[in-house]
Amino acid sequence: MVSRLAVLESAPVFFSLPEALLRALARRLRRIKVSAGDMVVFQGEPGDTIFVIERGRCRMVIEKPPGIVTVALLSEGDFFGEGAALMNRPQQASVYAQTDCYLLAIDRQVLHTTLAGRDNPALDELRQVADQRFRTFADTSVQATWGLLLQEATVVGVYSPKGGSGGTCISLNLVGAFARRYPGEVLLLDLDFPYSHSALLAGLVPTSCLARVSSVPQESFEEVLLSAVLYHPGGPMILPGALRPEEADEVTPELITKAISVLRKSFTYVVVDLGVTITDSTLALFDLTQHVVVVTAPELSAVKSAADAIDILVQLGTPHDRLSVVLNNRSFKPAVTKTAVERTLKREVDIEIAFDGSRPEQAAVDGAILSLTNPRSEMAKGCEAIAALLDSKHGRPRHKPAEAHVESEGVPAGVGEAG
Amino acid sequence: MPSRSPVAVIHQAQAGIRRSALRRQLQAVAAGKSTSLSIDLDQSGVDVGEIIEEITSRLPMESMPVQRLVFAFKSSGTADRVVERLGAKSPQQRANSARVAGALRLTEAVTWVAALLESRDRAVSDAAARALGKIGGARSATALVLAIQRRGLNRRLVAELARAAPDLFVEVALAEPQRPAVRPALAIAAGLRRRQTAVGPLMRLMERGSRRERVISCRALGWIGSGTAVPVITRALADRDWKVRMSAAKALGALHAHSAKNDLKYLHIDRNARVRKAAEQALYRLRTR
Repeated sequence: MVSRLAVLESAPVFFSLPEALLRALARRLRRIKVSAGDMVVFQGEPGDTIFVIERGRCRMVIEKPPGIVTVALLSEGDFFGEGAALMNRPQQASVYAQTDCYLLAIDRQVLHTTLAGRDNPALDELRQVADQRFRTFADTSVQATWGLLLQEATVVGVYSPKGGSGGTCISLNLVGAFARRYPGEVLLLDLDFPYSHSALLAGLVPTSCLARVSSVPQESFEEVLLSAVLYHPGGPMILPGALRPEEADEVTPELITKAISVLRKSFTYVVVDLGVTITDSTLALFDLTQHVVVVTAPELSAVKSAADAIDILVQLGTPHDRLSVVLNNRSFKPAVTKTAVERTLKREVDIEIAFDGSRPEQAAVDGAILSLTNPRSEMAKGCEAIAALLDSKHGRPRHKPAEAHVESEGVPAGVGEAG
Repeated sequence: MPSRSPVAVIHQAQAGIRRSALRRQLQAVAAGKSTSLSIDLDQSGVDVGEIIEEITSRLPMESMPVQRLVFAFKSSGTADRVVERLGAKSPQQRANSARVAGALRLTEAVTWVAALLESRDRAVSDAAARALGKIGGARSATALVLAIQRRGLNRRLVAELARAAPDLFVEVALAEPQRPAVRPALAIAAGLRRRQTAVGPLMRLMERGSRRERVISCRALGWIGSGTAVPVITRALADRDWKVRMSAAKALGALHAHSAKNDLKYLHIDRNARVRKAAEQALYRLRTR
């Protein structure tokens, strides 16, 4: 009893409890012996118990294909399992005993009978800790999985759950805005199936695509993949997902994972246009992205779809700070106000793109990228803001925009003439 | 259908009115629209436990509607009356009170509800087991394990143990010395819970356990769907006991273990017809996936 009390007193949150409560908790604890190498909790399973380590060390790992990331090493006085026990979430990570351990198990019933209803903030504090840890571990696993610290490319997914919200246009202009900062280091991967039109909108004629690389042997995969990339004279590069609708089936989650791992070594930013539907490939991409930009328009159906999409992304474990919402005004007087959109989405709109008249449509006809040809347009300003936001979040130093590309409203030499 | 007397029809209608009045009262409390509660637990034709279960089913213990109901029951003194009635003479009153305690997840009633597991009246002991399953926690699970020790392997007790057991309870109990009936019950509970953490203890039981324990562990590992258990289960295909071989074949089919295909084919010439049939069915499952 005394040793249990001592362990609880050394644990975060619990140490602030009054002694009577600590004693009540200590009396109801289960003491469990776990051998080295045994699994204590398994990622994705439900849970109802908080485990406090009395003696020994445990390793907390998150399995995130293609690897397993150790997110924490826990020792005496540390606890885990609070997210599942208090927030009814599946276990975020698996925990294995690294040495022979003695754990003190506090199950949900004990927690509630002991701590609830006594004007005690401990339960709220525990929930807060659970929430903080959830975000920290999600972030750590994303960073570790994709070697963000190694300066490999940041993968940004642009997802527009409702067709006609301007997802492709924003993707294209976002790579344009990035290309001004990192000329030649930015790629747009167009996975807006079944019709991938980014190359067409940028005035380029595609000759190969990701789908056609699927059957290439491993040893020449990288070379063939990079040779399928189209170069836009303004700086960005484009890799179409499929040239024909029937080729879309060739783009499997495995192919995407393989392609992204190659592209990350060659670029600073990889922007992926995810289109409208949620397929296996889209889900695979959500796992591979460091940031997801959800595009919505101020229309009832678009906002509802965006709210559902955000729910799905959060359930998939996308941390809130890795998710941005862009509101693209497609008409002069939108039917739904920004406040109403934010109320429905239950979060703030990060960037609002003002109505830009017929400029986006005209640019598409001309095969031009507005963020390169007309930086004063609303679309260019909006995409510049998204690029700045992503740069600030992903620790890229802001480069001075290449002067050659911001000449008044005129089209720089070469842009729009490609293809 | 025999025609009923007008009196019986009126009584039935009155019971219906009382039930709906009680349901409305409880729903108002659960929704936070009212805090006062006045319930007559002995109203004829009204099963209070059933109505509370209807409102609180699928709601977790810590949810606001359940908390509001518990608070109202406690502050009105009804919770105390429920606990008192757990020791009543009438089996119906005891069973009803156990249902109310379970539906409200009254953890303080665990000791009294656990005592009802010994009742000779099956309705009472079943209601007590269900209530403990709903309340959950280590104390409820321990009470259910003790009841299994006394009464042997009982389907209701095992199902409720699987529901009540907190994390690692079953896994730890599997590794401890137990009476003959308990370990198979724990293995079934581990399988029903479908937790990966139970894979290690079940694999150990497969290697060291009695014939019955090996049979049940095989099936439990199949239910959990753990690929890491495939080599151990494949070895069990060569067990001396036909029940273990049959159980292993079924588990490998459930696991879609293609690596065990050849070992399963050998069972076509097993001397036991039920083993041969299980192997055939497992191979069919492998072919269809």
